[in-house]
This record gives sequence, structure tokens and C-alpha cells, in this order.
Amino acid sequence: MEQKQKDALWAQYSKQTHVLGRVLSILTVVLLLGAPFVIGGLLGAYPDLGATARGFLSVGLVWTVSSVAEFLIYTPMLGAGGGYLAFITGNLINMKIPCAVNARDLAGVKTGTAENEIVSTLSIATSSLVTIVILALGVLALQPLQPVLQSPALQPAFANVVPALFGAMAYQYYRKNIVVAIAPLAVMSVLFTLVPGLISSTSFMIIPSGALAIGIAYTIYKKKKTGKEAQA
Amino acid sequence: MSILSQLNSPAMYAICGGIVAFVALICIVFLVRAWKAGLALGMDPVKLKRVVVSSATFSALPSVGILLGVIALSGSLGTPWPWLRLSVIGALHYETQVAQAAAEQAGMKSLSAAEMTPQGFATIALLMSLCIIWGIVLSIFFNKRYTKKLSSGSGSGKGAAGFGDLAMTAMFIGLVSAYIGSYLGGFISSNGLFTFSGDWTPLLVAAVSAGVMALFVYLAEKKHITWVENFSIAGSMLAGMAAAVLVGLL
Repeated sequence: MEQKQKDALWAQYSKQTHVLGRVLSILTVVLLLGAPFVIGGLLGAYPDLGATARGFLSVGLVWTVSSVAEFLIYTPMLGAGGGYLAFITGNLINMKIPCAVNARDLAGVKTGTAENEIVSTLSIATSSLVTIVILALGVLALQPLQPVLQSPALQPAFANVVPALFGAMAYQYYRKNIVVAIAPLAVMSVLFTLVPGLISSTSFMIIPSGALAIGIAYTIYKKKKTGKEAQA
Repeated sequence: MSILSQLNSPAMYAICGGIVAFVALICIVFLVRAWKAGLALGMDPVKLKRVVVSSATFSALPSVGILLGVIALSGSLGTPWPWLRLSVIGALHYETQVAQAAAEQAGMKSLSAAEMTPQGFATIALLMSLCIIWGIVLSIFFNKRYTKKLSSGSGSGKGAAGFGDLAMTAMFIGLVSAYIGSYLGGFISSNGLFTFSGDWTPLLVAAVSAGVMALFVYLAEKKHITWVENFSIAGSMLAGMAAAVLVGLL
């Protein structure tokens, strides 16, 4: 296939992705917000809108700010299709993002390319389907499974899913980018040690940590670029 | 009929299961489209298959963790609603926190079946949905503009992505560093500055997981056993989680 044909195909695919993504996202929002009212009708009592508004002001605003940060940070990693899907299916930080990044590395594709968009979409869709299937099977088998999964001996394992994930990912990323990693890791360790109260806000601390890492990466990138230009 | 029986009724399963099925359908549509587009662009089908297999194995263990979140909430909210919430947009660390806050606003002392009322449940359900939808709302309005702006404009994409790729890697390093720093800080100072008496399990789990990942990388790169790459993350996580169980038994 010629490059021109590929470009036309890609343009059409991207356009359809945005149309589909928007329509399906709107439908999902309608279903999610509509479900409590349908359930309320079923139970004979509709949601208390005053309490909902008060609750939103107490916890919702924090999550709204967090959602803006997540959108700005993760959309570039996931691309258009992966982005729509990831925000529909959730569980970004503990699963979808590491999963997509891992798939990207495995496939050897670069962020911002068509290949990355394809790989990211395949990865998020597969990951979401696996979660949906496991949750559905788990819900079906919930009663017999409960004693096993809730046994005290297994609780530490499930309480440490995220450290297990980030330990493995840290090795993969640090070994290739140790110069970028040292400062954020050191700064964050010192910060959390001196101000342990910040531990409950770790998801917000990703922003300064990421900004520091990006700053260092940019300095290295600029230096390399300048060096290459000087050689040429 | 008790409130939990009502919340676990077939009608509740039908409503929540219907929405989960709709989202599963969305995933299948995106999966098939991406696969076809990848082939049309000349991507290697073996590579695409590898992405799917590795993503599936990668997601299996965290999904079991998410299932535990469903189980944890099922005692107070019934099973269908937590199942829906953790299948669609939800996040494990978010749901319990918001459900608790919503219960307080609904006039309950705590999130429990004993205090649950039909209106309390409907209010909690609405607030849980309302608080989490903003990522998807932002996607509806800004995904197109944002991704267009970020795109390297490489069309079918053999071009270099310049600093963008490095920036994304750096962002991920920042993310991982924040969490590992929090585990270290938690161990050193969570019970008072420099008391070194906090929970060290997350640190150990991360270290074991990293060690096993190093072994997988060694096998793949030095011994050329490349198939292990598909299971390296899941295998490393499993080893780390097993270490947590061992610590718990000590």
C-alpha cells in the first residue's frame, strides 16, 4: 500500500474514532447518571439531590481536579482511541496506563504515531475486557469465592497489587533511564519522609514528580540535539 | 424484603449487567477496529497478537484485586452496583472513599447495610457516578483537539516522535517515583519522623517484584527466551504479592 493511501486510511480511521468515542462516551455518561434514577424508581425512592450536591462539594471537587490532571497526563500516552476507552472503563493508574505503556514497549512503537494509537487501543480494550470477564465470573461465583479471596492470609497480597506493579515497572524504566529517574525518586522519597502527611495525596504528587522527570529528560534531549547539530 | 435483598435482586443485576455488557461491546468495537486498521497500515499481525496476549496476562492479577473491591463493597451496597462501578470508569481507590462520603451526606453514620435505606442507596449511587465522570466528560469535549495538538503529524507513522516519546517515558518515571517515594516515606516516617516503624511490606513487595522482573529481562535479553516477556509483568507481580503473603504469615 502506498504512503498516500495509508495516510488517507489513517485520517478516516482517526475521524471515525473521534465520532465513535464521543457518541459512546455520551451514552455511557447518560447510562451511568440515569441508572441511580432507574434504580431509585425500582426501590421506590429517588436520589436526594440536595445531599448529592453537598456530597459533590465535599468530595467531588477533589476528584474533578484529579480528573483534569489525569486527562492531561494520560491522554498523550494513550492516544485518541485508547483515551476514550480508558476513561470509559477506568482503573487507569493501577492497570490501564501501565498496561498500555508495557504494550507500547513490547511492540516497540513511539508515542504520537499511528502504530502507538493502534497498540494502545488494542491494549486498553483487551485489558478492559479481561477485567469485565474476571469481574463477571467473580460476581457469578462470588459466594463460593468469598472465603478464599477474603481469607486473612491472602489480604496482604491484594493490598499490595500496586507496589508489586510499580516495582516491576520501576526496574524496566529505571534501568534504561537512570539519569532521569534519580532526582524524582530522591526528591519524592525525601519529601514523603519529611512530610508523611503527603502520602495520602500521592496521586497529586505525580504532577511535580512527573514535571521534574520531564524537565531532566528535556535537558538531556536538548544537550544531545545540540551535540548532534554541532557534529553535523 | 431486606435492603440487601433488594440491592441483589435480579432487576438490579439486569440494570447493572446491561450497562457492563454495553461497555464490553464498546471495547470489542474498538478492539476490532484497531486490529483491522493495524493490519491495513501494514503492522505485523504477530506483533499485534503479542500486544493482545501481553495485555490480557498483564491485566489478570490487577483484575482479581479489583474483584476484591467489589466484594468489599458488596456487604453494604449489594453486589450489582459495585460490580458496575468497578467495571465502568470506576477506580479501586476511589469507590470506597466516595461511597463513604456519600453515605455521610445521605445521613448515615457509616457505609453499612444496617443503616442503608432505598433513598440513601440511590443518593450514594448518583454521587458515586457524578464524582467520577469528569475524565470521560473532558474526553468528549477535548480529546480530539488535545490529541491533534499532540500528534507528531507522522501520518501512518514511521516518523520520529521527537521529545514526545521521551516526555511520556519521563512522566511515567515520575509517576512510579512518586509511589515508590511514598512507600519509603511511609516506612521511615508514617509513625513519627524517622521512627522507621511504618509498614515496610510495600517496599519489600516492590523490591521482590523488581528483582523478578530483572530475572525475566535477563532471560529475554541474554538467554533469548523472548516468550517470557508476555508474562514478565504478571509473573513479577505474582512474586511480589506472594512476598506480601509471606510477610503477613511471619
